[in-house]
Amino acid sequence: MAEQVISPDLGFVKDIIAGGGESLKKCFQCATCSVVCNLAPDDKPFPRKEMIYAQWGLKDKLLPNPDIWLCHQCSDCTVYCPRGAKPGEVLNAVRKLAIEHYSVPNFLAKAVGKKQHLAFLFAIPTVLFLLILASLGHLNPLNVPRNEAGQISFAKFLPSLYIDGVFVPVAIFAVVCFAIGISRYWKDMKRLAGPVNKGNIWSTIIATIWEILEHKRFEKCNVTKNRKIAHFLVFYSFIGLAITTAWAVLYLYGPGIMKLFGAEPFSWMLGESPYPLTDPLKWLANASALVLLIGISLVIRDRLKNKEKVGSGGYYDWLFITIVFLVMATGILAQLFRLADIAVLAYLIYFTHLVVVFFLFAYAPFSKMAHMVYRATAMIFAKHIERES
Amino acid sequence: MPAEKTGKILVVGGGMSGITAALEAAEVGYEVILIEKNPYLGGRVTQLNKYFPKLCPPNCGLEINFRRIKNNPRIKFYTLAGLEKISGSEGDFDVTIKLNPRCVNENCTACGACLEVCPVERPNDFNFGMDKTKAIYLPQDFAFPLRYVIDDKYCTKAECAKCVEVCSYEAIDLNMQAQSLSLKVGSIVWATGWTPYDATKIDDLGFGKYQNVIINMMMERLASQGGPTKGKILRPSDGKEPSRIAFVQCAGSRDENHLPYCSSVCCLASIKQATYIREQYPDAEILIFYIDIRTPARAERLYLRAQKDEKIKFIKGKVAKIEEDPSTKDLTVTAEDALTLQKIHEKVNLVVLAAGMAPNTKEWKAPAEISCDTDGFILSNTGVAGMYAAGCALKPIDVYSSVQTATAAALKTIQSLVRR
Repeated sequence: MAEQVISPDLGFVKDIIAGGGESLKKCFQCATCSVVCNLAPDDKPFPRKEMIYAQWGLKDKLLPNPDIWLCHQCSDCTVYCPRGAKPGEVLNAVRKLAIEHYSVPNFLAKAVGKKQHLAFLFAIPTVLFLLILASLGHLNPLNVPRNEAGQISFAKFLPSLYIDGVFVPVAIFAVVCFAIGISRYWKDMKRLAGPVNKGNIWSTIIATIWEILEHKRFEKCNVTKNRKIAHFLVFYSFIGLAITTAWAVLYLYGPGIMKLFGAEPFSWMLGESPYPLTDPLKWLANASALVLLIGISLVIRDRLKNKEKVGSGGYYDWLFITIVFLVMATGILAQLFRLADIAVLAYLIYFTHLVVVFFLFAYAPFSKMAHMVYRATAMIFAKHIERES
Repeated sequence: MPAEKTGKILVVGGGMSGITAALEAAEVGYEVILIEKNPYLGGRVTQLNKYFPKLCPPNCGLEINFRRIKNNPRIKFYTLAGLEKISGSEGDFDVTIKLNPRCVNENCTACGACLEVCPVERPNDFNFGMDKTKAIYLPQDFAFPLRYVIDDKYCTKAECAKCVEVCSYEAIDLNMQAQSLSLKVGSIVWATGWTPYDATKIDDLGFGKYQNVIINMMMERLASQGGPTKGKILRPSDGKEPSRIAFVQCAGSRDENHLPYCSSVCCLASIKQATYIREQYPDAEILIFYIDIRTPARAERLYLRAQKDEKIKFIKGKVAKIEEDPSTKDLTVTAEDALTLQKIHEKVNLVVLAAGMAPNTKEWKAPAEISCDTDGFILSNTGVAGMYAAGCALKPIDVYSSVQTATAAALKTIQSLVRR
């Protein structure tokens, strides 16, 4: 047998343990996990091999390995593990480190992963929005802005120019960070996998997107069957909210653009918010928010319910879950207080809403939200190298 | 100075450990009372076809021990006996024993005339339910005492009474009642033994659901002359000869969801059972799925011999899925071969689960404040002066080691009696 030199990275082992994989060293390599996992292929199944790579600190074999993302953390392995080594939780911690490893700028990735930097991460949007509001003179609770009709108006509180002035660069930043991250990841996967299939990458991408939309993989889970519905609701509510945002942009800028071209703006383009609850845009917005409320509540409930046997995840998971929950909760409450005409509370909650939305998108390439991009990339790669059909 | 012989010794459990402890103490001159819940002595050993590593039948050793008991007036033993109450302290225990009715007295010659007329059948627990006996039955071919017994859960008693009519020795008394027996003893040995782990609790291995998934102790019975198939290894579903057999190691053992410890004997037991199959079916293929093979000391030789056998294949990977083909009742076992990194699906016609050893003190609570570990095994320091444990009540061990712990326990009980 050819001699093989391995280089264990003990720091990496410690990082996995710190990231929620504290049970890692209990594994005794019985391979129960690879068998009970319905997602693992027959050839080089996961997660047994990942467990020993992780124990030995073989970072180079783990991070560029698409298998860590093919795992959907059903936790069937964890439930059947005879040692309580929780492979599901260990792979979750490895995935966190993979995001941290590939994403740029690295200092932000490290900050999102550690509790002690949370205040700093919140301080950025908080200070930013406070400065804008101060410059507009909108920080006086005794003199809150209202629109011409005397209603509470978030568009008057923080005009859309400022909102877009902040969020358009944030979106560009996130997209660029993601692009750099996954291109680094793709190259590294290619390096590990060696020569790959030269088939049509686009059909692979389409097949993967379709698979994600269908949530088929979750159906293969046994123990945490309910995760499918929870993730499905959160996933589609995000799509609903993305459409809402695009729709609102159309309302806001549509009339202006049409005027620019000398056309008469359509009457249904309502311009500046607030919009009446009877408008289809509000239907979609409120329906999506409710679906998100149900979905994220199910996520939390399932995690707490399965805590004992499966583990409830680490700081990294709960940070993401909390932010999603807060985005939804502050969104709904801001609207309720606006409708109830309680101005100070409505504006205060709206302010919080902006801060958490900033948090969600600006840090998306580094937080657990990045799983959607990395997992999709790994799934495409796995199909590309014919590891998956 | 010769020790003053005071008090009696109670041994709870008449398996190999209990018999040994009783004999060792009695043969140096102590009075011993041996109680056993089954209608026969010998315990789990009587169910074995062969011992490892020598691969000899346990009956000869048992017979020698039974003769030692018969010849020793200082041992008094009771079968079908349960312990009800213990009070007092070292040197002065008051013990109450319940003697369950056998309904067959000493007159029985085991002639078998009653069998002919008994109309009721019961599942044979000695053979793990793989065959049936009549409601009046001889517990096993080598039963000691050699006497029939009536299972009062099945016997219709006075309604039938055909056996009473046919018995020419007046050996059957259907009205026999349970009795209570009060004793004074100086020290107590717990030799309460073990039970195979309830493999139906391992939901991914299909035991209890698929007929051709059996446990290792059932294999002992299938291979035994006195077993349900008269020693021919046949699969339960259709009585066919198996040609491809999988052994699933650590079925319940080394698993925090079941038995968190290594049962220590199962690797050797499976290798031993592979030799049963090799003898009967030289062309059969044997697959042994393992996490680690544990064959310490001299037992390693048995493993090395099996490794050289081209019909025996060792696969490093725990089976975590068994599926049945409903039409043929064949089974597909799935494991990841950790050496080749392949998930393999092997089709076999018989699966033997190496079910681990659970101490009887896990389910049954001894009527004394003895200390057990979290798995139910009695600690070697029982926490009560004058009480000692032996054999598989202490830890999961083979017969050879059980005998050693039993001798040690006998010495300790003697010390306890003499020390004062």
